[in-house]
Amino acid sequence: MIATLSLLPSRWLSLPRARRWGAGLLLALLAVAWLLPLVTALDPARQDLMNTLAAPSLAEPLGTDHLGRSQLARMAAAIRLSTGMALVSVLSAALPGVLLGVLAGWRGGWTDRALGLVADCVLALPGLLLVLLLAAIAPGQFWALYLGIALVLWVEYFRVVRATTRSLAASPQLQASRLLGFGPGYLLRRHLWPALAPAISTLAAFGAANAILAIAALGFVSIGLKPPTAELGLMMTDLLPYYREAPWIILQPIAVLFLLVLGCQLLAGREPQ
Amino acid sequence: MSRLTSLLLGRLLQAGLVAWGVGTLTFLLTRALPGDMAYRIAAGRYGYENVDRDAAEAVSRELALGGSPLGDYLHWLGDLARLDLGHSLVSGEAVWSEVRHQLGHSLDLAIVAVLLALLIGPPLGMLAGLRRDGWLDRANLLGAVLLRSLPSFVIGLLLIMAFSVGLGWFPAAGHGGASHAWLPALALALGLAAVSTRVARNAMAGVAGSPFHAFALTKGLSPSRVFWRHGLRNAGVPVVAYLGVQLVYLIEGVVVVESLFAWPGIGHALVHALVARDVPMVQGTALAMGLLFVALNTLVDLTCLLIDPRRRQA
Amino acid sequence: MTLHAIDLGVWAGDDCLVAPCSFRLSAGENLTLLGETGAGKSLLAQAIMGTLPAGLEARGEVRLDGRQLLDLRRGERRRLWGRELVLLPQEPWHALDPLMRAGEQVRETYRFVAGDDAGRARERTRRALARLGLGQAARRLPSELSGGMAQRLAFAAATAAGGRLVIADEPTKGLDSDRRDEVVALLQEAQRDGGMLLTITHDIQVARRLGGRVMILRDGRCLEEGEAAELLRRPRSDFGRRLLAADPAEWTARATPPRAAGEPVLRAHGLGKTLGGRRLFEALSLSLSPGEVVGLAGPSGCGKSTLGNLLLGLGTPDRGRVERATGLAPHRFQKLYQDPPAAFAPHWTLGTLLDDLLRRHRLDRDRVPPLLERLRLSSALLARRPGEVSGGELQRFSLLRVLLLDPVLLFADEPTSRLDPLTQREILPLMTELARERGCALLLVSHDRDLVRHSCDRTLELGTPLNQGSALTAREERAMPESG
Repeated sequence: MIATLSLLPSRWLSLPRARRWGAGLLLALLAVAWLLPLVTALDPARQDLMNTLAAPSLAEPLGTDHLGRSQLARMAAAIRLSTGMALVSVLSAALPGVLLGVLAGWRGGWTDRALGLVADCVLALPGLLLVLLLAAIAPGQFWALYLGIALVLWVEYFRVVRATTRSLAASPQLQASRLLGFGPGYLLRRHLWPALAPAISTLAAFGAANAILAIAALGFVSIGLKPPTAELGLMMTDLLPYYREAPWIILQPIAVLFLLVLGCQLLAGREPQ
Repeated sequence: MSRLTSLLLGRLLQAGLVAWGVGTLTFLLTRALPGDMAYRIAAGRYGYENVDRDAAEAVSRELALGGSPLGDYLHWLGDLARLDLGHSLVSGEAVWSEVRHQLGHSLDLAIVAVLLALLIGPPLGMLAGLRRDGWLDRANLLGAVLLRSLPSFVIGLLLIMAFSVGLGWFPAAGHGGASHAWLPALALALGLAAVSTRVARNAMAGVAGSPFHAFALTKGLSPSRVFWRHGLRNAGVPVVAYLGVQLVYLIEGVVVVESLFAWPGIGHALVHALVARDVPMVQGTALAMGLLFVALNTLVDLTCLLIDPRRRQA
Repeated sequence: MTLHAIDLGVWAGDDCLVAPCSFRLSAGENLTLLGETGAGKSLLAQAIMGTLPAGLEARGEVRLDGRQLLDLRRGERRRLWGRELVLLPQEPWHALDPLMRAGEQVRETYRFVAGDDAGRARERTRRALARLGLGQAARRLPSELSGGMAQRLAFAAATAAGGRLVIADEPTKGLDSDRRDEVVALLQEAQRDGGMLLTITHDIQVARRLGGRVMILRDGRCLEEGEAAELLRRPRSDFGRRLLAADPAEWTARATPPRAAGEPVLRAHGLGKTLGGRRLFEALSLSLSPGEVVGLAGPSGCGKSTLGNLLLGLGTPDRGRVERATGLAPHRFQKLYQDPPAAFAPHWTLGTLLDDLLRRHRLDRDRVPPLLERLRLSSALLARRPGEVSGGELQRFSLLRVLLLDPVLLFADEPTSRLDPLTQREILPLMTELARERGCALLLVSHDRDLVRHSCDRTLELGTPLNQGSALTAREERAMPESG
């Protein structure tokens, strides 16, 4: 996601249509979430018990929740939280994942085996289980959630990058460049990076989707972040008892979660492997 | 070493890693609990009015609290290695017996979900793959992308709203007759099917465009015979292999979907134990889920070995 | 039984891909369509079978015993497959179901296409496999078969239902000369009992060996037609003459004698290498002198590439050692690859890659234009990426790239085997000429003995046929008296 976003707008038109839609969708959601607080005074925590479960109106375009809090403010806060956490987790997973993947694929031998074993340790457990247990150690703390997600995510980068690097390291194109007298820096720049970059950006988009989903799932089972934080999964749990009286309110976090993940998936531009 | 042995050894190693990982994380969990742990746990177990020093010390002994961190850790792992999981801090029951019941319920749910998913996903995908870029293929892609953007608990929520509240066809939560299983199983199955249908579609499209498919046709076999004798099996191999990857989704889904539907399975129990900080139960349920994951993976591996003779060659 | 094509052409909408041509085949005859790769030959085969890809359309007439095939509906056409029309696959190894045992792939044709009952199908399968020397292979998977076995198996499976018109589309693609002869023998089998054979190939040797009639195609049009014996001796069309001249068997031996060579640039002593449990070569010694062109021949899998890589230091021998002449920079030992696009970083233009090289070795940019001209490369190519130029152009660019480094040894690993014969005819002499001119030792690997014989000063023959366990030591044949 990050890689592609940073390339906007010069490469915008070269992106396939689905990726453009994905990027557009995400940009629209991000714009609403980040720009709105600059225009109006929104407080996701301010309660108004006289005005609960209000239908959308001019004053409250998205209505209010069961405690009379502004849904618009809460949705904006939730998007900032989810995307922010996803971005940070993806970034901090990509860096070690890519570096270690290149190292393992390039060096082979015991470096490869040792790093492979570490990756296998992480993969032995389903990712969410790992995040769940880590998050439980420090309930309600951002860092535990972030650590868990990043810990699960780096493995994907590692495995893909390692496989690509390994097959490239044995390829004629690298052999030819080595014979011509080029060093490792050149091989990385001209051969490896162009082969890795598309896979990395795809993985980043899927990773962001997974991070957003994991945060919501944990919030949903009340293990992750604690109320009154505005978080998508948490909001669904909180609003579930009111879905008969005010269905439009619980549909809001559902729709936003759906659009965020859809945006990431479209942006990834490929089906998951 | 035969393929089978090396496969089983690999999975055994994974099971060991699961046990070690779960043990370590739950140990960290005990260290992170605030306050006088033994006292709090004893209070949770016997009720506040019945707690005294002896009870707290009994708990302390049981969980081996209070030594050096390393000693505690080794002691903790030692208990795990002896499969001594202790008793639930909430109910006082042996963790094993609780987990056994819960695992049964979860397996019921998982099996129904996987069967449903296999019934929905791969057949649609294969049909789409045979007619690439036809209307079914497009609809299949759209459906898969939309469904994949919804986690299983959201699918579950929407199903509850539509079927139990809107139409009143199924009970929304709990565990009783077969009718209780439909919605949670469907919630899991739809997500699984969304991925497997695309895997099946791509596999089938690959097979349909392959030289051996073309050759089977020009040999004179009828299209339906080519599908049953060559297409299905070749397209089936990646679908089954990918089930292994999807197991992650299944296990993760079990945790959240069971909680949503109050299904008395292992995932529900894990969440409960985490909220109640019932450490022995956390360890027991997480371990059971991890090992279930390994066992299902082994099953997928064995199926792959069965249907793909190439994998049997060393 | 006859096949009569009248004004048969292939069209994509209004674009004519294969211009209408006519030919006739009767029982016991064979016809070979000869032409360059991409000359639309395969489309003709597909038009007769009825397997043209969507969007392409065959026009004209194809009459099989008087029936106009092009008028048949898809299902009716299909009923002829196997029973009357047989299409032999291009790459047999890929045409076999990877999950089905060898025998079963033949049996199903007897059972479901020929309509035999179960017992008879089994029996006929057993006999067919035994006749083709595949008796032991019935229970094997395609991945456990050699290329030759896969070819025979595909042949048995395709012809089991008794089709009388056999169409073979490039049956020898990528095969060495021994395997090629095997395939020709197999094809002649098809024609023996009054069958008809239509072969599509770019290989003149195949056309020559099959005999019968030959049609030469170029750019989707038929240039000439005649008896193989006559036409392949004296083609009337200009293109036919060039095609014939491109066959390495027809190359004239080099006129200039080898230059007196100096001190060897590289010596190898007692090299031995075992790969995957097979001994490739043993106690092999050789030396390469400046300006000499040495051929390295032998059947596929005998270790030609491995030997070349050992000499370049790209692998280590199990025994023996390789010595380079002193005072030479490592980058003066270079290699040309079999598959030119695989030897380039695919994401950058040739110009970028060339600049990288000039900068890396601080080379004079003025050396590039004369070389471009010598190699007949347009400088416009420099703006393109490796995937955007033809294989021949890219191989010439590879040559330019290594020549800039003033190589003393160039190891060329099947440098033209992926190129069509006319391009090969153009590039290979240029390569040997430039090597001799610049005093660079050229070690040329090829599976084509004629090519090696006509290009090289001497030949090193590595001889471990694929299926034999024993390793033979390299046998050296000298075309010229040893120099130096």
